[in-house]
Amino acid sequence: MIQLENVTKVLSGRTILSNLSVTIEEGETLVLLGRSGTGKSVTLRHIVGLMQPDSGRVEVLGKSLTETSADQLAAVRSQVGYLFQDGALLNWLSIAENVALPLLETHHLAKSEVDQRVKNALREVELDHHGDKLPGEISGGMRKRAGLARALVSQPKIVLHDEPTSGLDPISSSIINKLVNRLKSTGITQVMVTHDMNSAFEVADRIALLHDGQIHALENVDDFRDSADPAVRQFLEGQISGPLSRGLLDGSSNDDDRNEVS
Amino acid sequence: MTGWIEALGHFLGRSAETTGYGLVLLCRTILNLPHLFTRRRMRDCLNLIFTYTLGSFTVTAVVALFTGMILALNGGDSLASLGQENLIGRIVAISMIREMGPFMTALILTASLGSGIAAEIGTMKVSEEIDALEIMSISPVKFLVLPRLIALTLVTPVMTIFAAFIGILGASIVAANNFGVTWIAFSNDALENLQLGDVQIGLIKSVVFGITIATVGSTQGLLTRGGATGVGEAARRAVVITFLLVIILGYYLSWWYLS
Ligand SMILES: Nc1ncnc2c1ncn2[C@@H]1O[C@H](COP(=O)(O)OP(=O)(O)OP(=O)(O)O)[C@@H](O)[C@H]1O
Ligand SMILES: [Mg+2]
Repeated sequence: MIQLENVTKVLSGRTILSNLSVTIEEGETLVLLGRSGTGKSVTLRHIVGLMQPDSGRVEVLGKSLTETSADQLAAVRSQVGYLFQDGALLNWLSIAENVALPLLETHHLAKSEVDQRVKNALREVELDHHGDKLPGEISGGMRKRAGLARALVSQPKIVLHDEPTSGLDPISSSIINKLVNRLKSTGITQVMVTHDMNSAFEVADRIALLHDGQIHALENVDDFRDSADPAVRQFLEGQISGPLSRGLLDGSSNDDDRNEVS
Repeated sequence: MTGWIEALGHFLGRSAETTGYGLVLLCRTILNLPHLFTRRRMRDCLNLIFTYTLGSFTVTAVVALFTGMILALNGGDSLASLGQENLIGRIVAISMIREMGPFMTALILTASLGSGIAAEIGTMKVSEEIDALEIMSISPVKFLVLPRLIALTLVTPVMTIFAAFIGILGASIVAANNFGVTWIAFSNDALENLQLGDVQIGLIKSVVFGITIATVGSTQGLLTRGGATGVGEAARRAVVITFLLVIILGYYLSWWYLS
């Protein structure tokens, strides 16, 4: 379904992804964990062709995104919903208009069909009473949910979530988790970047830990939780020192930290 | 020393890159012109025309009025010493319509609308809204740049005519009050000496300036990077670059017209 093969990406002189490979199966929900700035968002951007790898291959829905035409890229993108870290809504359109945007601009649907789909999408994220408001008039968490409604309204096969629950209260988080699980039950393939461990364990089929530009660990939920890998343990337990505290991404290397863990 | 040369090279490289990007953007927008004739784009465009006109109306009127008055005051003073104050009408009318009107309006619209376009699109860039559009396969050129370019290409000539009219009006007041040139004499002298070509070149300039303001603003907006500071920088750069282009293009258009 989604395949990244030896993807390397250098940004502003720093290697963010280095030979990263991962395959996400159809219908699977993969959670991508990692410290801030390790390239989780960059990885998601490769999956929709917003970034091209310096070397390596990206394949989505059986089509290569690395050597593709604009039309083919558009065809792939029409099957992908993307929830941006901050919602990325257009601030001069109301919430309902934002959600309707992909339908109005690229699909040719009857107005009643658009209205119905927008209403359903807003109901799913429990924003049905806020459709008329502008993005500036609602809270950050609500904006994020509206962004999710926009990602879902064109009924994609793949949904990519960039930190859908960060900054949300526990109840809003549960709404999102429930929704992700519901999407999963309809067979949608999902990749979710998150820092929220509860959410990760609640929705994931498999969990991946991104470190040093590579997938450091990739396990089923239970195996991940019980993993003996020092990096995974450090991440789960939130220890300050450990293998994740050094490495090419900070540009610092501290062997003392490394010894303390083992 | 080498640092200085390196910085210059870097600057030139960047300028060439930005210029190329802007020209390509302009071509792509023109190629997208057929998309304008959909109900949604038309509506966006009309909204922008309305907002742009309303947003620049007052300041243009005030600046034009005083520019006309200053022209009449200075021109009248020199002409009066030669006993030729009856020539004020033609001097003010020709310079307002050919040069000052388009130029002044372009500067006002650059400062108020061009910087606004750069900041608006720049904000969308840094908050990933442009990326979101691309993922939804909505072309930012068609969706954002096209309506802005068309709106400014229409609003600039209209505001230019308005500015020239107000400026001449201001000048006629000064001519009557300070130099005793009656309103009839003023307008007769103006109308008898004004040629169709003067109006044409004024309009051509204003259309070129409108396209320049929108293209530079959009280019700087789309090239924005690095958060809120980046947005401020994009707006500042849009104003500086458009000012330079307006002066240079204005000179060459005048030269072309006169030769
Ligand atoms: N367009 C870009 N140009 C230059 N550098 C970039 C760009 N995008 C991201 N980076 C850099 O790549 C690194 C990884 O960024 P990314 O946004 O993927 O991090 P992340 O893992 O999503 O972090 P967070 O959890 O904070 O969102 C960062 O150091 C960032 O500065
Ligand atoms: Mg991120």
